[in-house]
Amino acid sequence: MRAVKVYWVIAALLAPSLIASGASACGTCGVGDPTLTIVGFEQPKSQRLRTSATVRHRNDRIGEAQVDELRLAEQRMELAGAYSPTDRWTLSLMMPLVHRLVSAVNLAEADIWAPGDLELRARAVVWRDRKFAPRHLLSLIGGLEFPTSSIERDAQGVPLPLEFQAGTGSWDPIAGASYTMFSDPWSVYTSSIAIFPTKGTADTNVGTSFRQTVLGQFQPWRFLGFQLGVEFRIDQPGYIAGVRDPNTGGHITYSTFGLVGLPHDKVLLHFTAAVPTIQRLDGNHVEGLAITAGLVYEI
Amino acid sequence: MRFSLVIAAVLLCTALLPNCMRVTEGIEVDVAYQPAATPAAVRTDLGYRVRLERAIIAFGRVELIRCDNFVLDLRKLVTARRAKAHEFSSPTSLGVPLVIDLMESAGVPLFAGTLRPPPGRYCGIRVTGMPADQDAEGLTDENLDRTENSVLVAGRIEDESGQATSALVAKISDVLPCEIRFERPLVFDGPTLESVSIQIDHTTWFDGIDFALQGSSAVQQRITENVRSSLQAVLPIDEDGL
Repeated sequence: MRAVKVYWVIAALLAPSLIASGASACGTCGVGDPTLTIVGFEQPKSQRLRTSATVRHRNDRIGEAQVDELRLAEQRMELAGAYSPTDRWTLSLMMPLVHRLVSAVNLAEADIWAPGDLELRARAVVWRDRKFAPRHLLSLIGGLEFPTSSIERDAQGVPLPLEFQAGTGSWDPIAGASYTMFSDPWSVYTSSIAIFPTKGTADTNVGTSFRQTVLGQFQPWRFLGFQLGVEFRIDQPGYIAGVRDPNTGGHITYSTFGLVGLPHDKVLLHFTAAVPTIQRLDGNHVEGLAITAGLVYEI
Repeated sequence: MRFSLVIAAVLLCTALLPNCMRVTEGIEVDVAYQPAATPAAVRTDLGYRVRLERAIIAFGRVELIRCDNFVLDLRKLVTARRAKAHEFSSPTSLGVPLVIDLMESAGVPLFAGTLRPPPGRYCGIRVTGMPADQDAEGLTDENLDRTENSVLVAGRIEDESGQATSALVAKISDVLPCEIRFERPLVFDGPTLESVSIQIDHTTWFDGIDFALQGSSAVQQRITENVRSSLQAVLPIDEDGL
């Protein structure tokens, strides 16, 4: 089983680099629009290849305070690459490495380093208002999360809550759509994504998750933009060994504030703070501030 | 091409990283039941001898009580009256049912489980006797009637002369919540391993009962009170000798 998993990981990771062998250098603004975009939001252009490294920090609390509460502090480093073989297609691959510190009410701690689930996505532009420097892009998104993570357990061998796992440990198809509008110095990005987890390798069953992102960007200077947005997520409950994890499911809305900068023609830096504004999560589950910082390199 | 291969190699290494986990134990409290040895005949304070044939008690829940919350929690008691093991467990409570046959387990500590409470001061422990469910530990074909009773006692009573004998059967089907104070508070402010022994002295269960004069309901009532008072929580001796 492990050998099959490794085989898939190797194949998935090497594929884009082989596909991209003919890619030519292209600056961030070489797509005909000066808008600064992070990986996944960009305009596809034939042979455009971008890589990125992103660090995310988030806090999570599950359980009743002073009774059975577990606290999570997570740092997730995501290494990703995105390649556009044509003006309409973009393939992206993302591999997370996750560090989690899980603290229990009795001061017990579990310090875990583990890979998350490898994610492969394809984005196809199905409509654009014009070929060069389009102002409106409508795209369909499809993808798959690979079960490269494993189910983590506490000191007693009990699986950690699903919300505290580095990944779902299952093959999870992804489907969605996005719309992007470019109107220098303004731009808007919206996306609707659904993830459909299958049964996990450790008899886990994470619920279907729907995620909506609306992001506005104002870029008064060529090298700096400001972002303001909303992220909404609604999850079905999850199960471990057929038993519902009571602290899964529900919905949450984040308000996001971000900066995106271009210190070099090929390097883009971005920073985002996501503040939970509406939390209707099931059970005793509270998500905290999430901070993202990253670097995008245009090859 | 070269750069993309480097990226792919980094991704590959990340994906193949082995999981690494370091666990630091926190505050842990081991709880065990310690029944007294069962003599051939229990001598009561009123001079009766009780020759026990069966003596069984079933526990469904053990819970640490904070010092600032030692007042009897009526809501929990009401809830407990409707309870039947298995109960849910939490860091300050164990919901694992355990049936103790006092005729066989005399003097042998029976491990109830490990509590993992948050830091604080704990002044006592709440032990709840309750009818066990079908998969309770210690339940056998011989004591299946434990699923109906918290306590079952059967035997024969002899008066002081040892001549007049009568049968004794006491069945307590009620839930029995018992709050037991520690001799000293347990204070937890950092990771530590502590233990609590709940001693069961069933040789006192028949004290204060005049079997010749009291009816069966009065006997049963007194045994219920005696079961509660027969439980003691014993902590290990401090390093200071306290």
